[in-house]
Amino acid sequence: MTNALVLLLPVVAGIALLQRRRLYAVIGMAVFSLLLAAVYLLAAAPDVAITEAAIGAALVTFIYVLALRKTGRLVVAASEVPGLIQREGDGISGLEWVILQRLAHAVGMDLVIRFVPHEEVGPMVLRGEADIAAGGLVASDIDQGVLVVPYPLPTARFRITGPASPGEQHAEPAGPPTGYFADLVDAVRSDEPVAVTLDLARFLALTRYDLSAYTVERMEGDLNYALLVSFGRVDLHAQLAELIDELDSTGRMERLIRRFVE
Amino acid sequence: MNRSIRRSLYITSIFALVGAFCAIVWHGFTYAGAGSASVQRWIETATLLGTRNVVSSIYLGTRFLDSVLELLVFAVAVLGVRHFLDETAPGSTAEPPDPSSESHVVSAAARLMLPIVVLLGLYLAVHGHLSPGGGFSGGVVAASGLLMAAIAIGSAPVSRRLAPPTALERIEWSAMLLILALVVAPVAISLPPFSPLLPAGTVGRLASGGNVLPYNLLIAIKVFIGSWTVVQQFLRHRGGI
Repeated sequence: MTNALVLLLPVVAGIALLQRRRLYAVIGMAVFSLLLAAVYLLAAAPDVAITEAAIGAALVTFIYVLALRKTGRLVVAASEVPGLIQREGDGISGLEWVILQRLAHAVGMDLVIRFVPHEEVGPMVLRGEADIAAGGLVASDIDQGVLVVPYPLPTARFRITGPASPGEQHAEPAGPPTGYFADLVDAVRSDEPVAVTLDLARFLALTRYDLSAYTVERMEGDLNYALLVSFGRVDLHAQLAELIDELDSTGRMERLIRRFVE
Repeated sequence: MNRSIRRSLYITSIFALVGAFCAIVWHGFTYAGAGSASVQRWIETATLLGTRNVVSSIYLGTRFLDSVLELLVFAVAVLGVRHFLDETAPGSTAEPPDPSSESHVVSAAARLMLPIVVLLGLYLAVHGHLSPGGGFSGGVVAASGLLMAAIAIGSAPVSRRLAPPTALERIEWSAMLLILALVVAPVAISLPPFSPLLPAGTVGRLASGGNVLPYNLLIAIKVFIGSWTVVQQFLRHRGGI
């Protein structure tokens, strides 16, 4: 009996080592500790067995799980953009979603997406509440305090204002419904006044509606879409850049862009 | 070399190393057991101290210096956790919200089990010289009872019901100081340090085993408060449960 358990120990340790998800590895370590406690008990060392079970299986496992609660999650703050990252039924789809999923898989973390209004995305990363900002961002949206990872999808910026009411030229329209893209679509459909700057993907999605009442102005500059990584996660920045390079060089990025954007 | 080959080489070498280690332990390590002369001597010492649990008479008797050093290592670790997590966490004053709404079954079961687990820890500590257990494991078992309650009803309510942190810290260090005092006290009556002050008593009775019982109790207090401090600080600064 003892021999069988001792033989089982390296097997369980190996299984724990080979787990890709950290939580499973920690559970493997807890199982290892319990087995070890059983071995101690059978080897007539009940004192050591009690201590091993209490510390190895309960306390240490708990402390690891607590540490994982913070590091095991990849928190992404995103604003919804059609084609790039959008809700679809119960799930999420889009180009950035696929990239983020691959990143989470590569680093062995659980992906958590928090959909927030467009202006909230940057501040959440700056405050450290999210690791990555996504959702049709351009590098110049936030230029300080974040690491920028551009990916090969060009964009442009469009300024949409109006509708200009007669006799009230150049006056700023009241209360632009920015924030959630769905709110903006609602506003455009009911011809409410808006004043927003949009990226290419959002603009294209908006051209499905009647924009004749609004003034559309293309802004200067060659721009690229980018994901923004919090300064505290330099490791993620390197891995994300590597992932995008790999996707680009194997031609997969092109296929993804064709699938989601065109 | 390609990545997957290198990876499988790593894994094979890890398994080979672990296997070799196990084989060496299997064949090379012989445990003399209770028959050998040195073990006979330990058993004699134990009966001199009056403990039924031979192990406790070793690590709280003739080899108590080792245990004291171990306890100091633990104390330094707890001190480190307390110092760094108290100072360097900005905005840590906000307590995480209580997860009391998670499940009534879990919280009710935890409330029911908490006194039992703490009592078990106390039993392990008090009976350490008679049966398997002792101060270290008793303290950790009691602290893991609190940990269970913290998971079920939140760490803030649990620590509110316990003594305030400063009082806990005082009790913890008084226990440590008392242990050290008990160690050097025999010098005052011209005995070597570490020699037991209390009589051996009758083997098998609760009041026996010389200094082992007070040592076990003090160590249990120290380990209980220390483990709870570590758990609580981690809960507060890791987003909480």
